Amino acid sequence: MISLYAEKMLNIICNETLEARLVCMFKKYGVSGYTIITARGEGASGHLSDMSGFDTNIVVKAILPESRMQVILESIERKIKKGHHLTVYITDVQVITPDKFDKTTD
Amino acid sequence: MSLSSLLLPAVLFFALGVIARLIKSDLKFPPDLAKVLSIYLLMAIGLHGGYELAKADMAIAFQSIIWALILGFTLPVIGYLALVATRKVNPLDAAAISAHYGSVSAGTFLTAIAYLDNLSVEYETYPLIMLAVMESPAIVVGLILAAKARHTLAAREGAVKSTPNEASTEKSNFKEMLRDAFTNGSVVVLIGSMIIGAIAEPSGMDKLKPFIDDIFMGVLCLFLFDMGMVAARRIGDFKQVGIVLAAFGVVMPLVGGVVGVYVGASMLDFSVGGSMLVGVLGASASYIAVPPAMRLAIPEANPSFYLTLSLGITFPFNVIVGIPLYHSLAKVMAG
Repeated sequence: MISLYAEKMLNIICNETLEARLVCMFKKYGVSGYTIITARGEGASGHLSDMSGFDTNIVVKAILPESRMQVILESIERKIKKGHHLTVYITDVQVITPDKFDKTTD
Repeated sequence: MSLSSLLLPAVLFFALGVIARLIKSDLKFPPDLAKVLSIYLLMAIGLHGGYELAKADMAIAFQSIIWALILGFTLPVIGYLALVATRKVNPLDAAAISAHYGSVSAGTFLTAIAYLDNLSVEYETYPLIMLAVMESPAIVVGLILAAKARHTLAAREGAVKSTPNEASTEKSNFKEMLRDAFTNGSVVVLIGSMIIGAIAEPSGMDKLKPFIDDIFMGVLCLFLFDMGMVAARRIGDFKQVGIVLAAFGVVMPLVGGVVGVYVGASMLDFSVGGSMLVGVLGASASYIAVPPAMRLAIPEANPSFYLTLSLGITFPFNVIVGIPLYHSLAKVMAG
């Protein structure tokens, strides 16, 4: 039987203009990989659609060990305090290749 | 203003886009289509303009740049003061909205060119350089106004001063914004295409004629069709914006249009067509370059305000009513 390892998945919904900054943050804090998906929907900051490519929302997903999460959440909180609209939630996931998500930066 | 000015295929397709959305048609354009089309339109107009500008008077081109900078830096300040005076928005919203009105809409400019071509009115190519120059200064003014607004709001609320670390982060973000303002996609495509158009071999440019000229109007129709749907989507946000802000979305382009036509006719001594194009530059509000810049630079501002105003009110107003109006004005001032 294949072993499963517990990890955390960070999910962020935000405007695409924040993409470069989030990627920069991931690199700074040693997140080994991430996935970005174009999204549409409606929320506190109004209706957002990918129609015609103007004003698009994205969903950013990254799997990382719980030990790395806190520092990233603090960085995201600073962005929210500045006024950026980010919806952030963490989910428990199980992976079969934990080494892939535990890149060391030191 | 004659009815024939509204019967341009491009304007009619814009109306069709609005109607399709209002009747809840399932018509949907592929994502990013308008972005792709606007790259083509800027490329085509840039190549064309660069080719013509290579033969133009550099002194007038230089004067046009200076006036484009003056307009780009002045119009957002006028907009900001007017918005703050209404007391309907906070200073940060006012800064973000006014930045849109100092910058320009290439879509409106291209519709104005289609309008002039349809009437066989001659125009100078200098407003094209002004289009490229005016994309960015308003973003800088928006950043400065927002910094001032934050300072005022913090003082009003008795907030503590930012730490040296925060101040240095703000400074580096400001530098990043400035770089983004002057290297945004529209500016790179337009200026790059103009340089290519100016230095390319004329025989090579002839081969591009089907790409630059023959399909241009068809692509503009498609672009405005899509933009009609995008603009109509914003009509739902109209209530949130309110009547005073909606009125700003009509009055501000009129102010910018009058100032622009005056600059074109009196300061730059352009023809009726050229003056009208400068008027359109003064009147139009950005919806491609400025919104992402404002989202990053002024995250506290409500995007519904500036997107609804620039896309849902000012863009349709200029395309349908503004352009013929600025033409009539240019005939009086430059005729």
